[in-house]
Amino acid sequence: MISKILIVEDEVLMLKALEFRLRKDGYEVHTAADGAVALDLIQAQSFDLIITDIMLPFVGGLEIVSKVKGNPQTKDTPVIMLSAVGLENIVLEAFQLGADDFITKPFNLSELSIRVRKHVKQPSI
Amino acid sequence: MNSIYSVVDYLRDLFTTRLPYFPSNIRSALIIILFCAIVFAELYMYIAVRRIRQNAAKRKKDKWNDTISNLLANIIIYGDDDDTETIINHFLPQFKKLPLYRPFIKKMLTKELLEYHANFIGKTADVLRGLYLRLNLHKEAIAKLKSNYWEKKIEGIREITQMNLRTEAENILQFTDEENGQLRMEAQAAFVKLSDDNPFRFLDRARERILDWHQLVLFEVITKTKNVQIPLFSKWLSSKNDSVVMLCLKLVNHYQQWDAIPLMVLLFKHENLKIRARAIENIGKMEAEMVEENLFEMYFNQPIEIKLNVIEALGRISSGNYLDFLKSRTYSENFKIRMAALYAIKLHGPSGEDLLSKIYHDSTFQNRSIVEHVLDQRIKN
Repeated sequence: MISKILIVEDEVLMLKALEFRLRKDGYEVHTAADGAVALDLIQAQSFDLIITDIMLPFVGGLEIVSKVKGNPQTKDTPVIMLSAVGLENIVLEAFQLGADDFITKPFNLSELSIRVRKHVKQPSI
Repeated sequence: MNSIYSVVDYLRDLFTTRLPYFPSNIRSALIIILFCAIVFAELYMYIAVRRIRQNAAKRKKDKWNDTISNLLANIIIYGDDDDTETIINHFLPQFKKLPLYRPFIKKMLTKELLEYHANFIGKTADVLRGLYLRLNLHKEAIAKLKSNYWEKKIEGIREITQMNLRTEAENILQFTDEENGQLRMEAQAAFVKLSDDNPFRFLDRARERILDWHQLVLFEVITKTKNVQIPLFSKWLSSKNDSVVMLCLKLVNHYQQWDAIPLMVLLFKHENLKIRARAIENIGKMEAEMVEENLFEMYFNQPIEIKLNVIEALGRISSGNYLDFLKSRTYSENFKIRMAALYAIKLHGPSGEDLLSKIYHDSTFQNRSIVEHVLDQRIKN
């Protein structure tokens, strides 16, 4: 079974890049450009991993973490936060809410691949 | 259809045959109505044409945007084992197919490429930089430095810095002493990042003031940029530009440059009180015991703010040589001095705390409460 990953990112280019890369790594990738759409997707289906930016329109990354980790059905889904340099305090808050990992922009794509592999339970194809 | 023709015939008849027979006020009103109708018709036509054009331009822009972002996103799908040059050579022909002779496409590609580059490090960033150079997009950035508008110059400087075009450091140096503060700041920060041989050369020629917030930005850039050759900042402690001296004092303290201590002692006589205070603060933070005598000697001729700095510095040095002096200050008429002296004594560790207990027993009721306050571990200075 292929692992399902949800990427939540408002920068179109970044979203596309992550989508392409993770598809190439063999995952089934779903995307959302804002937090509200992401929460709808999370309610409708289950994911093996969620990668979310911290700063998002409508619903922020922290709220997504809190909703995911606060729901018994999704609390075991790992969440990786993407943050810009200088948001260290928010990252701490995200960890307190239950986020599993974080990556600071700018980042290395190979590093992202390795971290994703570490967090998803099912292997990619 | 017939009704439209009849309305048109009626209007033609009204404004040609019948118009001269109307009284003058009706005639004027009719002419005004006709004028307004023509103006509105033209206005609607103009708006309609403009909207059509804008939509066409947006469609075109979206199409190119999509093409460019797909091309860029495809860079992600390369083998991790491939070397940067191979990947660049693979993607370059695809990028060259874009009509880059059209300015808006070139601008769009540059913008997207820079945005992409800002988010990645490692091979992806190297490939994007390689493509940027091989597509000659850097020439536009260099040309921006010659623009008459400072905003354009800043745009060029940012682009050059992001893409690490180190050969352009010399070109940027000329803007490091510009009258325009924003441009000056961008150029100074860029020069530190790009210059290989002497990234602080701009300090030699800085005549314009480096604003406080700008000093913060520069401090961040200097201390966080990797591989910057850090010089001895004491070199600029005798600068005529006070803001340069201030910045260098902060850097001397950050890098703990002990060679600067004799020059900082000279700054105890500086006419600018902020510089004097900062030099004393540095001596304290660097715990430079060898010059504490200078601190003691200068004390009596200084204004209150500087006296406080001296006391604090003696506390940080904590050699114990000036405990008696600090004790004498606890009887000062000035509350701030008394408080600072008690804290300075406390910084001396066990010997200081012993002295504080003695002071407690020997002093007045008011001083006792200050000592209690200073000795309270829950309260931080």
